Amino acid sequence: MSTDAVEQVVADEATSPESIATAAPTPVLQLQDFCVDYGVGARAVRAVDRVNLRVDRSKVLGVAGESGSGKSTLVYGFTRLLRAPAVISGGSALFTAGPSREDSGEELIDLVGADEATLRRLRWTQISVVLQSALNALNPVVRVGTLFDAVYRAHRSDMSRAERRARSVELLSLVGLNEDRLQRFPHELSGGQRQRIMIALALALDPSLVIMDEPTTALDVVTQREILNKLAELRARFGFAMIFITHDLSLLVELADEIVVMYAGRLVERARARDLYESPRHPYTLGLLNSFPPMHGARHELTGIPGSPPDLSQLPSGCAFQPRCPYAMDRCAREQPPLAPLDEAGRYVACWLHVAGEHATVPVELRRAAPSSRDGGSGA
Amino acid sequence: MSDADVPVSVLQSRHLTRHFRVRVAGQGWRRRVVHAVDDVSLDLRAGEVTAVVGESGSGKSVLARVLARIIAPTSGELYLHGEPVAATSRRTLAYASDVQLVLQDPFGSMNPVHQIRHNLERPLMIHGAARQEVRALSEAALRRVSLEPPERFLDRYPHELSGGQLQRVSIARALCVRPKVLLADEPISMLDVSVRLGVLNLLRGLCDDEHLAILYITHDIASARYLAEEIIVMYAGQVVEQSRGTALVDDPTHPYTQLLIASVPDPVNPVAAAPDTGEQNLSTIATQGCRFHPRCPRAMDICRAQEPPAYLVGEAHTSKCWLYRDHPGAPVELAIPRRRGEGVTTMT
Amino acid sequence: MRALRLPHSPKVLLGLGITVFFLLLTIVGPYLAPDSPNNTSFAPNLTPSWHHLFGTTSLGQDIFSQTLVGARATVVVALVAGLVAALLSTVVGVAAGYLGGAADDGLSLLSNVFLAIPGLPLLIVIDSYLPVNSRSNALVIGLVISVTGWAWGARVLRAQTMSLRNRDFVEAARIIGERRWRIMFSEVAPNLLPILASSLLFTVLYSIGAYVTLAYIGLTSTSVWNWGTMLFWAQANNAPLSGEWYWFVPPGVCIALVGTGLALLNFGIDEFINPRLRESGLTARQRRQRGLPRRVRLGLTPVLRDAPVRRARVMDASKVSS
Repeated sequence: MSTDAVEQVVADEATSPESIATAAPTPVLQLQDFCVDYGVGARAVRAVDRVNLRVDRSKVLGVAGESGSGKSTLVYGFTRLLRAPAVISGGSALFTAGPSREDSGEELIDLVGADEATLRRLRWTQISVVLQSALNALNPVVRVGTLFDAVYRAHRSDMSRAERRARSVELLSLVGLNEDRLQRFPHELSGGQRQRIMIALALALDPSLVIMDEPTTALDVVTQREILNKLAELRARFGFAMIFITHDLSLLVELADEIVVMYAGRLVERARARDLYESPRHPYTLGLLNSFPPMHGARHELTGIPGSPPDLSQLPSGCAFQPRCPYAMDRCAREQPPLAPLDEAGRYVACWLHVAGEHATVPVELRRAAPSSRDGGSGA
Repeated sequence: MSDADVPVSVLQSRHLTRHFRVRVAGQGWRRRVVHAVDDVSLDLRAGEVTAVVGESGSGKSVLARVLARIIAPTSGELYLHGEPVAATSRRTLAYASDVQLVLQDPFGSMNPVHQIRHNLERPLMIHGAARQEVRALSEAALRRVSLEPPERFLDRYPHELSGGQLQRVSIARALCVRPKVLLADEPISMLDVSVRLGVLNLLRGLCDDEHLAILYITHDIASARYLAEEIIVMYAGQVVEQSRGTALVDDPTHPYTQLLIASVPDPVNPVAAAPDTGEQNLSTIATQGCRFHPRCPRAMDICRAQEPPAYLVGEAHTSKCWLYRDHPGAPVELAIPRRRGEGVTTMT
Repeated sequence: MRALRLPHSPKVLLGLGITVFFLLLTIVGPYLAPDSPNNTSFAPNLTPSWHHLFGTTSLGQDIFSQTLVGARATVVVALVAGLVAALLSTVVGVAAGYLGGAADDGLSLLSNVFLAIPGLPLLIVIDSYLPVNSRSNALVIGLVISVTGWAWGARVLRAQTMSLRNRDFVEAARIIGERRWRIMFSEVAPNLLPILASSLLFTVLYSIGAYVTLAYIGLTSTSVWNWGTMLFWAQANNAPLSGEWYWFVPPGVCIALVGTGLALLNFGIDEFINPRLRESGLTARQRRQRGLPRRVRLGLTPVLRDAPVRRARVMDASKVSS
């Protein structure tokens, strides 16, 4: 593991993604070789392995992957919300905090090195999280109004009672809920309404980064659609950046600016949303896209991805996807492919098929060009 | 409906209804009757998958349980192989061996203290397999769901298997008793994306190779389109639209189906904005007229006053909506099946 | 099932040690006793010495021998009572929880009545109806005690069964056509095992208390030696007032030790059921050596860097983005 790791770091150094994106807009968040382990010592399992990514101001980054791919561990890791035995075992997470007072400017904070006081200051005011299950996240014996009140009392001590109430009502109307919901208990609300309240709470202090961990997975499609529309509206108004985690790639294609695909704790592909959908480059991404039956066209049998996701404590040698990969070569079982840039469009893929100088030809499915003649915009 | 190429119906329901009395939040002790399943008539045919699509609260899971006779219906009839089943009496073992139900949560539906072997051997023994053939039969059941080699799985405990494998065991457990009808209640919704297709293809294979009649219950309309010969959309316990083939998805007629399909994330044509119509719950389900009218963007006066019948809007395609009252097709109703041997086919 | 292994926690090991010690004492105690507990041939009121480890009674009996012999009757009655009570509470609790409806109403009423009736007076009343010769019978006394001790366990098991009843695997068993009683005892009951074990420990504990109390107030046969009768004789002969502490302290300490042992053992069951209580695999010293905080803190993921390469990368990163 150790020599392999050093090699890997060197490989990443040579092709450091950030060195290319120099002229890009200011990132809100930048992860560098971010690693999370479960456990320490011989029994440690690496759940997130050397992840590099950036989230730009007001952009949406989609994180896709199956359960156990490390997508949730990644975000709870850099927000430092994971509990032991999880341990951040390397890397940094640079967060650009907005001005906390009028007189101060922006500051760059490494969340990995931050102490408790700094984290407490950043959480909710700068970074907020919306969990998958709003039923479990809301205290069942506290009225919705009290929840909002508590947030403002804790972080905006200068606000009066009337101001707090006025602001709460405003927030509720933003997510399309009536004022009378403030008097309700969480169990009196439906799943969709609870999730709207979670979103309103997350936006209460005008954060610059909102993390959504499968916020709509437990909801019906119609409710999901309404919440997604609401989110788009709110984002247009407040301009917060968003990390959206889901296993539903087609949802991400609509919603996100950029998508990263995770497999067994590593990023395997990173691309603009539309590019990823129209011309996936990693066999796993292709497999994931083919796992969703389409809503159009003739019906034909889809095969998806054979096998099942790997056990993180017994990863196969080389590329973790290689035992399930239809295009696996000899090299895939020997060496782990680095996440390397593929073109100028900011696309990265961790697959030997695309490494120049390889003798294997890239399969036609993974060569398909993106129909860039379309409008080119990735947002809806 | 033309029935030239429609296979034999194995399980049929006519006007199947199940009511529950529930307390309404914030209204003290007042109770309200909820029509979880309301006047549902459907035919499950050998070698065909019938999909029931609906959101949570549409009654689709209750329908599966009423068909499996785990929950007794309030009224309505059931016919198995054309023979009426005394629907309100206790379920017989014979019925259980013909109609089996696969549950949604593969992790929850296996007892954590028992090995996989127990889950396969019990149904075999209950349904009268000889002791010496039990082992061979349970191995065969695992092979039918492509868990190979079977001896590797028999002695495992549920927590040692993945969700996809457990759901296959769950299907194998149902298949052990050689059912003619398999009811699958959201069998893939708890599974990982990459293994979902495997389970869907397995169901397809069972349907084609062994001529099972399968009821596939789902909230995922795309998977219904992928798998089913017939699609039924339920809203508030009622069938609102029904079609053979993919007509319902490709050309939805009922405003609810249209809303449902517009809401599905679809990279091919992303929707700009769908209207905020609220959600399906006790307060938005109408008690008078069409159940959907409080949320319907095209609601008319008649919708508020009177419940619409099902109109024929295309070939083998019905829609329970007043919009189609002037449609050339007449309102349709499935006939009550006659006993076998009376020489009358079950469809009109 | 989960692999059986020895618990880590010193608490549980101590409890296990004490319990095993007294179980052994039950078996070998009477053989180890140097004298007969009824032998009155020694000098009365001797303080503890090498010859009489716990001294002698005012009747000239060896207290050490009485303690050793008395262990058997005490523990046997407690075990009989505990097992019978656990069986009763399982049958009543699981049936009430699983069957629901009228059966639940009836059985719940029954266990509530037994919970509400004060146990000790009931015990005394039942006991006083027993023929005198059966009062020396451990089985009979055990059964009588179990009658007053099952209700609490039944309540707990009923609650747990009700939550298990709605689990999918129970529905799955119904779907394949499993019979009711089989679902109760083959599907539901095995999942109750940890709770059953815990409730068994507590009924055993309760039974020791009840038996000692009965013996102390003289309602069991005084010819059977147990720790309760020892206390009875000590009290009858005014031992506490005349300063003969060595007469009543040994049985008292034994009772307290058995109770402590069982209570500590119960922690082990908690640890066994609830994985969160299990140690995360590192001892406190290992955690300190690795620079990890000693306690798990909510909302602060620990950071552990061991490769200097990565430190360098952090510097690099800040340079790039600033």
